[in-house]
Amino acid sequence: MRTKKEDLISYKDGNLYCELADIWIDPSKPVKRALITHAHFDHFTFGCEEYFATNETSILLKERVGDNIKIKQLDYGEEFKINGINISFYPSGHILGSSQIRFIFAEEKWLISGDFKLQKDGTCKRYEIVKTDYLISECTFGLPIFKWDETNKIANDISKWVTNSPDKTSLLFCYSLGKAQRLLNEISQTNFKGNIYSHGSIYKMNNCYKELGIDIKDTMKIENKKKIDELKGSLILLPPSLSKGSYLKNFKNIQTAFASGWMSIRALRKRSGYDKGFAISDHADWDGILEVVKMSEAKNVFFHHGDSEALSKYLVDKESINVLFFEK
Amino acid sequence: MSLKKFSKLFGDLDSINSTNNKIEVLKSYFLSNEPIDNSWAIYLLTGKGNKRFISGRYLKNLFSKIYEYPQWLIDTCYLKVGDSAEVITLLLKNKTTSRNKKLSNISLNELLCKTIPELSKLNEEEKNLKIKNIWETLPEDNHLIFNKILTGTFRVGVSIGLITKSISKLINIDEEIISHRLMGNFKPSIDSYEFLINKNINLEELNSKPYPFLLANNFEDKIFKHSINDFQFEWKYDGIRIQLIKRSGNVSLWTRGQELVNESFPELVEKMSHIKDDFVLDGELLIWNFKEQIAFDFSVLQKRINRKSPTRTIQIKYPINFIAYDLLEINGRDIREIKLENRRIYLEQYFLKWQTKTENNISDIFKICDLIYPKDWKEALTFKEKSRENNTEGLIIKNKSSIYTSGRKKGIWWKYKVDPMQLDAVLIYAKGGSGRRAGLYTDYSFALWKDQKLIKFASAYSGLTNIEIKELDKWIRKNTIEKFGPVRSLKPEMVFEISFEKIQISKRHKSGIAVRFPRITKWRKDKNINDADSLENAYELMKKIS
Repeated sequence: MRTKKEDLISYKDGNLYCELADIWIDPSKPVKRALITHAHFDHFTFGCEEYFATNETSILLKERVGDNIKIKQLDYGEEFKINGINISFYPSGHILGSSQIRFIFAEEKWLISGDFKLQKDGTCKRYEIVKTDYLISECTFGLPIFKWDETNKIANDISKWVTNSPDKTSLLFCYSLGKAQRLLNEISQTNFKGNIYSHGSIYKMNNCYKELGIDIKDTMKIENKKKIDELKGSLILLPPSLSKGSYLKNFKNIQTAFASGWMSIRALRKRSGYDKGFAISDHADWDGILEVVKMSEAKNVFFHHGDSEALSKYLVDKESINVLFFEK
Repeated sequence: MSLKKFSKLFGDLDSINSTNNKIEVLKSYFLSNEPIDNSWAIYLLTGKGNKRFISGRYLKNLFSKIYEYPQWLIDTCYLKVGDSAEVITLLLKNKTTSRNKKLSNISLNELLCKTIPELSKLNEEEKNLKIKNIWETLPEDNHLIFNKILTGTFRVGVSIGLITKSISKLINIDEEIISHRLMGNFKPSIDSYEFLINKNINLEELNSKPYPFLLANNFEDKIFKHSINDFQFEWKYDGIRIQLIKRSGNVSLWTRGQELVNESFPELVEKMSHIKDDFVLDGELLIWNFKEQIAFDFSVLQKRINRKSPTRTIQIKYPINFIAYDLLEINGRDIREIKLENRRIYLEQYFLKWQTKTENNISDIFKICDLIYPKDWKEALTFKEKSRENNTEGLIIKNKSSIYTSGRKKGIWWKYKVDPMQLDAVLIYAKGGSGRRAGLYTDYSFALWKDQKLIKFASAYSGLTNIEIKELDKWIRKNTIEKFGPVRSLKPEMVFEISFEKIQISKRHKSGIAVRFPRITKWRKDKNINDADSLENAYELMKKIS
């Protein structure tokens, strides 16, 4: 157990915080200064006086929440200084614009992984190896039962799933920012010939990605008044929030699927209520987390976002890595 | 059929939720495959091949040994997955595919009749090597089925009923006939499949067909307006509803779910076949306490229901009794259109005859239900309240002049159940579930107050909706005081209404009381822990009832 004083980054009110710079990382409540690792809503909160984020994250955020926020835009690798602490952003491979954040103070390096993955993703910069003394890593999928298939295999499975049911309308639920665009990018590299539609929330993000120069397959925006026959045999991307409730009544003769890393476990798949699950994730799997821990050359590792007990014990027992826990 | 082909069928069925769509998939599978493949698919999907060759624990140990994997890590994974076969399948991923080896496409016949049974003849080292070898030569997407067959945990969400329906639709023959054909020792072969889809129905099959069941409605107050003499009163037993058919020498036991359960209750089939007449009886099957002449709880019955071909020991340990309450057919004559009061006379007369004229004694396994004769509605209520004493759930009230129709028709039968006993208790422990509930805290323990302390009095795991389970799981994770293995002790904060069937003194429990069938009936978010009941309240409840 460590005391807060000697740590550059600590855990405060459920958030990562750098006291020396008085700066928060992805805070869940309004603060003075907030570093934003990426544009997903569970990493962003309204009302902060000033935000810091990469160019892409800033553009995506403004598209989602409006121009009415003060963001300092940064390039990957660009350093800035607050109270003598050097801060810089590096690609984390999670979604477009996503980043790790490194702090350097008195020659001590701290790295916050942000949400990350090592897998190939045509819609964002690949994870960049950054050396550090202290690593604070996410561990959403920190168990060895999580091992991702190659993305193109999943894309082919999705293509087959739709093509093999030509009489059905195939509804694929996925997060509207990041996952949807990654899937579209991958599906365009398969021989899928059918029509693809996107829900409005996804369509908006697709356009945003395109404007930022990302190669996304053109899709049609799904309209509620679409004739049911026209949708037969096509693939429709929808946000998960619409999977329960009356929205599905707009369609007839459907099959449903959810694209998420959790779908690799049968019990979770069955419980989710979707017909099918595609285990594709924008987070690192077990091997991915271990690789990042090793490549970062960190002597000390903290975990957050996930159940880290097994992962910590494994690293201590097998890899002799010092795993630390935040004082909460 | 090859393991590969079957894995594909499993995958297809596993990624469909709708029953109708599953039936369609099965139908088109049966149409497009060879009889021998179909026969194997039916054999495995109906769980007839579910034999445990090695335990889940053994499988996990083996994996740990071969791949030098810490046992505790496998156990942690198991908590998330809830199935040993699946955990090992997930952990095997990317471990076994070597490009040099040619992947095998083993047939189910070879796997189930040769490879796996031969494992038991090997010593441990040879056995482990053999399993490792199979893992390393099987394609990755066949691992799950292989591991599941090995551990005898094959469940796909395809019930025997679904298979029955699919075949019934395929050849356009009633489900009851298919059920009858699927009964017994189904062995995968071309012949057994051809027999299943034979369009000619033989006499024996026709003879086994049950009538649609008549079901009781919930009691309605307006019945009080009628004369008590218009009704027949029976105890409401909590067993399995059975239509017992004997026609031309053959006995069939049908449940309300159209399931033929002859194999589970062979002693009843045997005894009834000695009766000279042909008949169809409607009644309840129970585990019977012959000393006190009352039924045991349903929980005791549950210990027998799922045992196919129970041993003699089991038959003696859990003695069954069939309580008939209606006669629907006698010597080929359908008497369902006759008024209940007259059917009852027939039932009593024939029962008397069978008791005296049948060579073997039948009264140790078959009786007709006693009638109750309350003199007015007030006394009927008293009877209802007393139903706990003989382990019944209340009363069944039947219109004496009604005929036996089908379904839940109004104005014929009513169930008048005694109110469940309830206490408000505080959640103090939670434990992880398994199977479909893996990764969620779904087994709960509840406590009552005694001298300002909370004393555990019951555990329950049913009664919450899926949404509530998820919500409670979240709360549990945030409010854990301590972890002991899979169990967490919790901050006493949540109050639940617990209903149960019976309450009695028990020296084995710290609380001094034991309750039967505790279940959650309400999440009392409106109450705080000081509003929860005390053990004192529980004792009072016990006094009131006895």
